[in-house]
Amino acid sequence: MNGYGITWKHLASLVLAVGAAALVIERAPAGDEAVFPMPAGKTYVNECGGCHTAFAPGLLPARSWRKMMAELANHFGEDASLDEPQHLAILKDLETLAADGAQANMRMRRISAAIPANAAPQRIIETAYFKFMHDEVPRHIWQRKKIGTPGNCVACHIRANEGRYGEREVRIPQ
Amino acid sequence: MKRLIPLFALCIALPAAAQTPQLILDSLVAKAGPASVARGEQLYRAKSKAGKTADSCVACHTDNPKAVGQHVKTFKGIDPLAPVAQKDRFTDPAKVEKWFKRNCQEVLDRPCTPQEKADFTAYMISVK
Repeated sequence: MNGYGITWKHLASLVLAVGAAALVIERAPAGDEAVFPMPAGKTYVNECGGCHTAFAPGLLPARSWRKMMAELANHFGEDASLDEPQHLAILKDLETLAADGAQANMRMRRISAAIPANAAPQRIIETAYFKFMHDEVPRHIWQRKKIGTPGNCVACHIRANEGRYGEREVRIPQ
Repeated sequence: MKRLIPLFALCIALPAAAQTPQLILDSLVAKAGPASVARGEQLYRAKSKAGKTADSCVACHTDNPKAVGQHVKTFKGIDPLAPVAQKDRFTDPAKVEKWFKRNCQEVLDRPCTPQEKADFTAYMISVK
């Protein structure tokens, strides 16, 4: 090809290698991807996710969820009471998968560590972690018709109901 | 063989749990009386002064039961209500009762009567 001894074969293998690496990088789950464990089965998504995003339990500590479940009859102004079996099952899952649960991942521990021990926040959007992660989002984006409120996770985090909040899966509606 | 009996029973019970909108309407009519599509539509569109978050069904479900709705407070998208547009609507009696309970309480501040449920369901089925 020229005086340096570079052949088309060299170039072809370079292109192939770069392409293969790009594919692997694109598909590999990044270690820092925001993925939270979710309750098994459909009860959580059906009951809690009926009116809002099925928020990942790992976004709040267990004490927050216990308070919330104890006050379901007045859940942000609405009666969201559940039948006993669902109530017990959901509470158990929330406690197990909470930000301060025994199996919490690094991200969940960071969330938990940023919440004062004497506080049991009820709104995820008021936690330090949420504010830090969304500080670049201007107000007019939240006000778009399909988003409406920062609590509408699933509007942009399209796989939020599966516990997936990774940046690469964000799709901000127009 | 004895151990298989529950299995057979399950095979019969499982398909029975999934129903059609017409079967659900029939069982509501059995508790109330003949259903009225017109009264159902009236209920769907009526404004209520008792509503805390939403003042009517249409507040979240929109004027058109075939359209995708949106919760007025959480902004979550809501699948269309009419079975013609969303085929799993009115096929699970427990789900139907759950949402009548939640939403009648929310909008009307009281449970819906069996007649209202029958009328409402008849209207939704009538939407083509």
